[in-house]
Amino acid sequence: MAVADDNPDVWRVGVLFSQTGVTQGIERTQLNATLLAIEELNASGGILGKAIEPVMYDPASDPKKFRAFAERLFQVDKIKLLFACYMSSTRKAVLPVAEAHRGLLFYPTLYEGFEYSRHCVYTGAAPNQNSLQLAKFLFSAYGNRFLFVGSNYIYPYESNRVMGDFVSQGKGKILDEIYVPLYPDPKDFERVISRIKTTSPDVIFSTVVGSGTAQLYNAYRAAGFDPTRMPIASLTTSEAEVAEMGAEAAEGHITAAPFFETLSSPAARRFVSSFKAKYGANAPVTAGAEASYFQLHLAMRAVAKCGTDDPEQVLANLRDAEFDAPQGRVRIDPENNHTFLWPRIARLDRNGRFQAVWNPGVRVKPDPYCVVQSLDDWSVDELPLLHS
Amino acid sequence: MDVAIQILRDLRGLRVHVVHPPDTERTRLIEHLRRIGCMVETQWPVPDCWADGADIVLLAIEHDVREDIQHLLKSDTAHRPTIIAIVSYEDPSTLQLVLEAGAVAVVERPIRPFGLLTNLTIARSLWLERRDAEKRMRKLERKLAGIQRIQKAKVILMDGQGLNEAEAYESIRRQAMSKRLSMDDMAAAIIHANELLQYRVKGD
Repeated sequence: MAVADDNPDVWRVGVLFSQTGVTQGIERTQLNATLLAIEELNASGGILGKAIEPVMYDPASDPKKFRAFAERLFQVDKIKLLFACYMSSTRKAVLPVAEAHRGLLFYPTLYEGFEYSRHCVYTGAAPNQNSLQLAKFLFSAYGNRFLFVGSNYIYPYESNRVMGDFVSQGKGKILDEIYVPLYPDPKDFERVISRIKTTSPDVIFSTVVGSGTAQLYNAYRAAGFDPTRMPIASLTTSEAEVAEMGAEAAEGHITAAPFFETLSSPAARRFVSSFKAKYGANAPVTAGAEASYFQLHLAMRAVAKCGTDDPEQVLANLRDAEFDAPQGRVRIDPENNHTFLWPRIARLDRNGRFQAVWNPGVRVKPDPYCVVQSLDDWSVDELPLLHS
Repeated sequence: MDVAIQILRDLRGLRVHVVHPPDTERTRLIEHLRRIGCMVETQWPVPDCWADGADIVLLAIEHDVREDIQHLLKSDTAHRPTIIAIVSYEDPSTLQLVLEAGAVAVVERPIRPFGLLTNLTIARSLWLERRDAEKRMRKLERKLAGIQRIQKAKVILMDGQGLNEAEAYESIRRQAMSKRLSMDDMAAAIIHANELLQYRVKGD
């Protein structure tokens, strides 16, 4: 038993999310949601009478380990479908492996765009599905003088380039652009805080990821700044990072994402309550978790339809497929393998819970190769700002 | 805005012609060009001349249509679009054709989506630089020829009328103004008249 030999009675799928390392907080929520979806499908009789068997390893937030475990999954464990990755550096490590083995990677995380592979399905937001909306909201609610702070890797640089372009379109100013190491020291944020004091921006746009996020928000709180006038705005600060920093440090700050734990739709409530029933009332449910959840359902529904987990056939079946995800009805765009999503913006309340401040109920087509977006792509009428 | 970003921004909406035999590689190539945001048209067999309005041509270097490609390359060299060669081999005879085509980038088969955007960007940037350099060179050549003509006309006036250099220059300038000609055209007229005069002298 439990030997990795071919078992024809199960669908074996690969799952790689870090349970240790700098992004373990967010990746654990993605792992949990993936396993929840598998449990749901198995409880309802599996796929074509066969159960789904996840094969998992802990790649420890390290691109090299991601690559090594992906090799192992395709070569030794003989999986075809892989559900994996948070940071772009880890996706870039895994994707060539998936391509070489003609597998299919499902990537449930927002990222910087400019990628397409026939061997990857992207279920998180592209920049045209979160940055543009966030920029417009911030300009109208807070102002156009920005300070950028990010972790030192590819995603923050490209995100800052996109946001910087909006700032210059909005006749605003970038007061500084600071990068901290992926594993930051407290002193890295001392410098950030002193620059905030000196430049006094309208908005701090943060692309800090992982455990550094809590350090940044706590340093901000300790410095006594006022988030009602100068919030930290982010695309990556989710319920998982908030759980690490605590409600006091989180209050008043802004995040744009297609899903928040507090969404009130029945589909969202069902997902969140199943998640909490399995993992505990305090387990954070993030946009990354929601994407992990619906992408597993989508993938296995395609397997059920074509009767095989052959990636070519699964991909053909996924294209144009609609699915009622917790965030709303989503669809894989056959042009680029990215997903039609529902942009939203929320502010953290005193209990550290996201409360929607902009929720237009519009589904946005993914445009991963959009170099420059125009601020005018959304008219002000479409931004019913709810100041709470 | 940043020059590099401007090139990327301009890629969207560029008219890209794909001269490539119909197969799945061409289909995938077109899909990815559209994903990037280009407007794509296809041509096959190899056309006689560059299509009107093509900004970039992705040209498949196929040896069985070598003559057609060479014929295309000879047509209207002044209006050559940005050319990116698609190659299956890197032997000297393929490379010769790539060089003759004036290709500024090369895409190798099998065609992968990753790298295409980079190639388009580099190709467009080199082509724009080359075009600007050619324009500047032509302008400088014209200017240099003009200066040489004025110099020659000055010498004629200095020899024939005993003027010094400044007086000769002033004389050309005044005549040009009164006849509403450019200095260059006036100088050419003086040189021409002098040639006629020389001819008569010799003919006597």
